[in-house]
Amino acid sequence: MDPSAKKKRLDTAAVFARWFLGGIFIYMGLMKALDPVAFLKLVREYEMVGSSVLLNSIASVLPWFEVFCGVLLLTGVAVRGSALVLLGMLIPFTFIVLKRALAIASAEGILFCAVKFNCGCGTGDVLICQKLVENTGLMLLALLPLVGLGKKWTLRFSLWPTETREPIALS
Amino acid sequence: MKKVLLEALLVVAVGAVVAFAANALSPRGLKLTEDYFHGEMLPVPRARTNRTEFVAATNSALDPVVTRLKEKGLQVINGDKAVELFHNPLYQQGAIIFLDARNDEHYQSGHVPGAYQFDNYHPENYMGTVFPLCQSAQKIVVYCNGGNCEDSQFAALTLRDAQVPNEKLFVYTGGITEWTNRGYAVEVGERNSGKTHK
Repeated sequence: MDPSAKKKRLDTAAVFARWFLGGIFIYMGLMKALDPVAFLKLVREYEMVGSSVLLNSIASVLPWFEVFCGVLLLTGVAVRGSALVLLGMLIPFTFIVLKRALAIASAEGILFCAVKFNCGCGTGDVLICQKLVENTGLMLLALLPLVGLGKKWTLRFSLWPTETREPIALS
Repeated sequence: MKKVLLEALLVVAVGAVVAFAANALSPRGLKLTEDYFHGEMLPVPRARTNRTEFVAATNSALDPVVTRLKEKGLQVINGDKAVELFHNPLYQQGAIIFLDARNDEHYQSGHVPGAYQFDNYHPENYMGTVFPLCQSAQKIVVYCNGGNCEDSQFAALTLRDAQVPNEKLFVYTGGITEWTNRGYAVEVGERNSGKTHK
């Protein structure tokens, strides 16, 4: 296949990945933002925060922050920065969810993949193995815009103008 | 790469401002300085028993919810006592009141007939109605879903903090789950809607 046609296809796929990722984060963020009390209780169950102000801040800000990042990806504003932020959230979240699932499996004496709980991810009760696969998929999708793919149909891919190198004049 | 990092930092900064503003403007938003859990930062351990075992275990000394309530100095009642108070003529006179500590959606889907709603996470919406009733009542029964649900505990503590005497407050730990499992009717929709089902 023609390399330029291949690149074009990859770029189009990256655009769809960006839209999908943006849409998923808007949906998951809104699910939490519309019932912040339920999300607050779920965050508390992770037993990671000892201060009520910090706990309230996480539960009230995180959902809207996800929606904000999702909108940026969907509209194509600050795409690489947004993708990096989402990746920076997905990696620790996945580890935290994994840690909690391991604790539940151990406490209840059940197989790891049989652990089903509401991880506070915005999609209700999920099987842990399914959740880990989903999060891995989302992280891979976030890598596409991060490496600079999917520039089509963006309002402002980068906040800063891209450097253009002038050809060096040879005398 | 430096530009991407700077862009990410800007996204974090602007996103945080937008998120705090959205929470402040949202009617369902949380109050950042409110201690919704009354200093109880660790939740009750996840239930390991099935529903039948749970009902049998309710109010037993082994129930972590009961232990925690007693540690807080709150009085606990079981299903038999809750039913007795419900059928007491004083309930019709308002000297005994039931408070449902769950959110609007759960309350509307079915509550103990005649119970008032008192959502601990939005006390400002209910305190005006509930507080005078608590002052005149002799006994106040607070309940939520039952099981690991802690909302009744937090609602009782909120009322106690508002100077409702502790000796009036009773937490029905079996909650609406035990109530319906016993076959008692629940009222659907608003209080005194007249619509009940079992």
